[in-house]
Amino acid sequence: MSQVDAHEDSGFVARRFVLAEFATPEALLAGTHKVREAGYKNLDTHTPMPIHGLEAALGLGRPKIPLIVLCGAIAGACIAYAMIYFCNVIDFPINIGNRPMHGPPANIPITFELAILLAGGSSFFGFFTLAKLPQPYHPVFESEDFTRCAVDAYFLSVELPPEGEADKVFAEVQTAGALSAELVTESER
Amino acid sequence: MAAPNLSRDPLEPLPLLEGKHTDKTINDSLLEHVWRGAGKGWWALFACALSALSLLGIAIVWTLYKGIGVWGNNIPVGWAFGIINFVWWIGIGHAGTLISAILLLFQQKWRTSINRFAEAMTLFAVICALLFPLLHTGRPWFAAYWLMPYPSVQRIWPQFKSPLTWDVFAVSTYFTISLLFWYLGLVPDLAALRDSSKSKTKRMIYGLFAMGWRGSGRHWAEYKWAYLLLAGLSTPLVLSVHTIVSFDFAVSVLPGWHTTIFPPYFVAGAVFSGFAMVLTWMLPAREFLGLKHVVTLKHLDNMAKILLVTGMMVTYGYVMEHFVAWYSGNPYEYSEFFRVRQHGPMAPIYWLMMFCNCIVPQIFWSRRARTNILVLWFASILINVGMWCERFTIVITSLHRDFIPSKWENYSPTWVDVSLFIGTIGLFSTLFLLFLKFVPAVAVTEIKELRHELDHDPTAETAGVTH
Repeated sequence: MSQVDAHEDSGFVARRFVLAEFATPEALLAGTHKVREAGYKNLDTHTPMPIHGLEAALGLGRPKIPLIVLCGAIAGACIAYAMIYFCNVIDFPINIGNRPMHGPPANIPITFELAILLAGGSSFFGFFTLAKLPQPYHPVFESEDFTRCAVDAYFLSVELPPEGEADKVFAEVQTAGALSAELVTESER
Repeated sequence: MAAPNLSRDPLEPLPLLEGKHTDKTINDSLLEHVWRGAGKGWWALFACALSALSLLGIAIVWTLYKGIGVWGNNIPVGWAFGIINFVWWIGIGHAGTLISAILLLFQQKWRTSINRFAEAMTLFAVICALLFPLLHTGRPWFAAYWLMPYPSVQRIWPQFKSPLTWDVFAVSTYFTISLLFWYLGLVPDLAALRDSSKSKTKRMIYGLFAMGWRGSGRHWAEYKWAYLLLAGLSTPLVLSVHTIVSFDFAVSVLPGWHTTIFPPYFVAGAVFSGFAMVLTWMLPAREFLGLKHVVTLKHLDNMAKILLVTGMMVTYGYVMEHFVAWYSGNPYEYSEFFRVRQHGPMAPIYWLMMFCNCIVPQIFWSRRARTNILVLWFASILINVGMWCERFTIVITSLHRDFIPSKWENYSPTWVDVSLFIGTIGLFSTLFLLFLKFVPAVAVTEIKELRHELDHDPTAETAGVTH
């Protein structure tokens, strides 16, 4: 049965988005609020710079990065301290002038540096993992206008459910103050 | 240059952004220098930089082929140009982190125009700095055995109680974090480059580095935190790095090195030299890359003020060193500071250091000097020279006259030492010129954000921009 299905249909369902352009960041912010209040959930905005208040407008929860970074910092500190302890006390203790094998003050700098290294690394890689980047293709790139996204255009994208009507969404973004709107469809590659 | 400034009411703050702008005009004006073909000036500078870089290549090959005996180091001057240049370059790098991280945390809006530039400077300066500790091991390909805790069959671990091992961790962490921070900040700008490129190839290449950035609101929400946290982490990091560099000296018992003031005094010196280096490059760059509307006289004025403040911190460090040498009653310390440094064979360098680091920045009490391009540029170069002399004084002068006169020995660098130093300036300049050619020198996204903030800030419209 699955074989027949695979032959007839590769299982590809194109994702569709309504991409609406707003004139200013404020208009986008107000528009996003309106569209979300109208009951649309799969919203995203595309702007050349971060806009204050968009997190709330999109209904996003608390950012996850701080916790990830905290875990990275703790892991870095633990790994560093354990490494020094293992090298100097367990694996190859050397008695130099009867100084203690385990000298905590001397361990502080490396423990600190590795905590920073892993915290910074988890901030960077944590962000790219959460954002699912690098992602060379996204349906919004189908739009000709989207080449202004990182320059000076403020977009709101509404993802349509598989059998959803685009017209209703067009009307909705129009009343929310969009300058223009278009339908973008994912292409099969 | 000074004319519009003088006609201004001195109580009215200078603007942070000159002229009326939209996102589009900011975008185009800041990316223009990337799209414009390389001019004759760029090629001329690039040729100079490349020839200095080839000198570096020759010096490195010779050092590796013959061993570090070709350097001028001797006993007792066992540390010489290698460590001077290392500390000098690392210090220069620190201004980048100060501008991008510490000023971000203090919400200093003026940092936005210079942070990308300064961060790039950090990266390249740290690359130059890293060359010296690698080369001074003589056989860098074996260095992994004793620099990093590499689990070899010999079971020999690095000496974790040594500041030199701390240094390895500090500087490699510093480089990595600076690179991540710089790249994270660059991603939206790379997307702007991708989106405004005219040719398909450029679009592909910048698109590759932009990694499919689409300015998504969901991304920005996490991005802002990732960026802020990296800034927050860089701040203690930059202080720790130069503190640890100063431990290389302060933990020993040599007169002239064995002082507790070293960590703060090194950090202040680092920021001092770094800001001077930012100015040395920024002044010509804003002229030739058309960045005058974002790097305004206000920015130059602020940078000059920081030079004045950090210059006085450095001066305070010098004064305290001398005071403690006298007050401690230690004859070796006293002799080092009051006889050897001031009257010994290296005295000219000591006095040059005093002139460049203590006297020259005092000119910035004058507002005219702070906004005069030529004065700023020459002063910044003198400060760079002065800070190099400071490291020379600390390293060489302290070593060449220590406890027993029978151990005293003079020092002179060889051609290899000098070539390595000039070569790293070549390496730095090459990387910097390439950066200015292919990447926007100013953080475009952040300027757009700043423009938006200023347009909506009622105080900014009436009274110019504070901060």
